[in-house]
Amino acid sequence: MASEHDNGGRGGTMRGPEQRPAVEARGLSFAFGRRPVLRDLVLSVQPGTAFGMLGANGSGKTTLVRLLAGLLKPDSGDVRVLGNPPGPGFSDRIGYMPQLNALYMSLTVRENVEFFARMCGVKDRQARTAAVDSVLELVELADRGRDRITSLSGGMRQRVSLAVALVHTPPVLLLDEPTVGLDPELRATFWKHFGRMTREGTTILISSHTMDDASHCDRLGFLRDGRFIAQGTPDELRSTTGVASASLEDAFLHLVRSGSLDGAPSS
Amino acid sequence: MTFDRTTAIAVRVMREIVRDRRSLALIFLAPLLVMALVGFSFSEKQDTLDRVAPALISVFTLLFTFVLTGISFLRERSQGTLERLYVTPVGRGDVLVGYLLGFLVFAALQSLIILLFTVFVVDVNYRGDLWQMFVVLMVLTIFGVNLGIFASTFARNEFQVVQFIPMLFAPQIFLSGVVMPVEELPGYFQGPAEVLPLTHAVRALREIMLRGEALGDVMSEIAVLAAYATGLLVVAMATVRRT
Ligand SMILES: Nc1ncnc2c1ncn2[C@@H]1O[C@H](COP(=O)(O)OP(=O)(O)OP(=O)(O)O)[C@@H](O)[C@H]1O
Ligand SMILES: [Mg+2]
Repeated sequence: MASEHDNGGRGGTMRGPEQRPAVEARGLSFAFGRRPVLRDLVLSVQPGTAFGMLGANGSGKTTLVRLLAGLLKPDSGDVRVLGNPPGPGFSDRIGYMPQLNALYMSLTVRENVEFFARMCGVKDRQARTAAVDSVLELVELADRGRDRITSLSGGMRQRVSLAVALVHTPPVLLLDEPTVGLDPELRATFWKHFGRMTREGTTILISSHTMDDASHCDRLGFLRDGRFIAQGTPDELRSTTGVASASLEDAFLHLVRSGSLDGAPSS
Repeated sequence: MTFDRTTAIAVRVMREIVRDRRSLALIFLAPLLVMALVGFSFSEKQDTLDRVAPALISVFTLLFTFVLTGISFLRERSQGTLERLYVTPVGRGDVLVGYLLGFLVFAALQSLIILLFTVFVVDVNYRGDLWQMFVVLMVLTIFGVNLGIFASTFARNEFQVVQFIPMLFAPQIFLSGVVMPVEELPGYFQGPAEVLPLTHAVRALREIMLRGEALGDVMSEIAVLAAYATGLLVVAMATVRRT
């Protein structure tokens, strides 16, 4: 059943620096062949918070997510999710949404979500049906459950993919650009749900290119040259530009354009 | 490995195959067409046909099973769902055995069609029991499914799976007794021929079909084939995590 595992960190109202981070990377380095992607990266996401990863195309966001999901092995350094190295034994505590929506195209919406629920150990049929119902409600696809993925629009497929990541109510969500292709109204709805989830103790790591997503996160990290060159709350990042009225977008462009930022704020 | 997950994967694999109408039609029609073409090309030479029929049945059973499995499993990899499965508690054993069971149903039907069509429509003379021939083909089919999964872990796209066919099949077709009996091959090819799994399938089937032997008489051939199938499954389990 989905509620069987103790949702490590879930329901914890006390939050403080003394708390064990839900997602953690220390001295993390990774290269694809001879192309270094991450270099000595440090990441620490507190339980019950949403951490947004920003960074240019190819800066390594997807690579970091895959390392955290246990799909790639670090060349050096250490990765921990809820205190454990990612691996088959703990992966039911992760909800993973890959950048490209990996779904079985000839199966229906329901069949896809239900299949992955079962893979994640939601064994009981009734519990599974209930979990699928509620997550389809959440992504507003309850009326399309019997449609095949091939007959859905791009944004709808994206929503099914999100539903798959959420269906077993994992305590940690790794979402790689989940809001791509969503209309603004739906995006707002999703952030309402994400907000509720973090309040309930879920930890969300999300990558995005939109300032709208970024503004909803508790903390942001700006990925460049293989590490987070700037980390902080959206307000803190805004102030890095030195201009009082700067928007997140300004901060983003400032970080992209400024040269090597080795001494930059990285709290 | 858990029963629940394995069956869920098997059911899903079967569902996907059934939904794909065109592939489904190909699964059943392609073997018929090929066997008709090959079989009737021998229609003036009943003796030759009777002699090569076991080899033809074996080769095409293996070939169709390989292609069906290899391409389907590759799709799982290229569409990203395999990666997604790896971020669940599913083990390699669950995935592989689930696939094996899911494909096996269709591969078995395919093999049965090949066998029945060759025997009854192409009208090959045979002596042994049909069900015993089918048992041999089932072991070969399991081997073919595992071979398909194994090969697809080294392929990046469908095209490459197809490119494996000449590499994997040409030696087997020439050395395993399809073109000429193994005993008539030059001495230096005898050793390699004995190593090839297809050789043992062809020999077992030939003994049953042509000599009217029983399964018990060809146990050693079946054992070699089964060992190959199991060995491949183990190797595939070690390589299947590659994405
Ligand atoms: N499978 C792969 N093989 C080789 N190189 C790869 C592979 N995947 C990614 N890379 C390289 O790793 C670097 C980081 O890629 P990654 O996909 O992590 O970027 P990203 O930040 O997610 O980009 P985007 O915003 O476009 O999604 C890029 O230089 C890319 O070329
Ligand atoms: Mg990416």
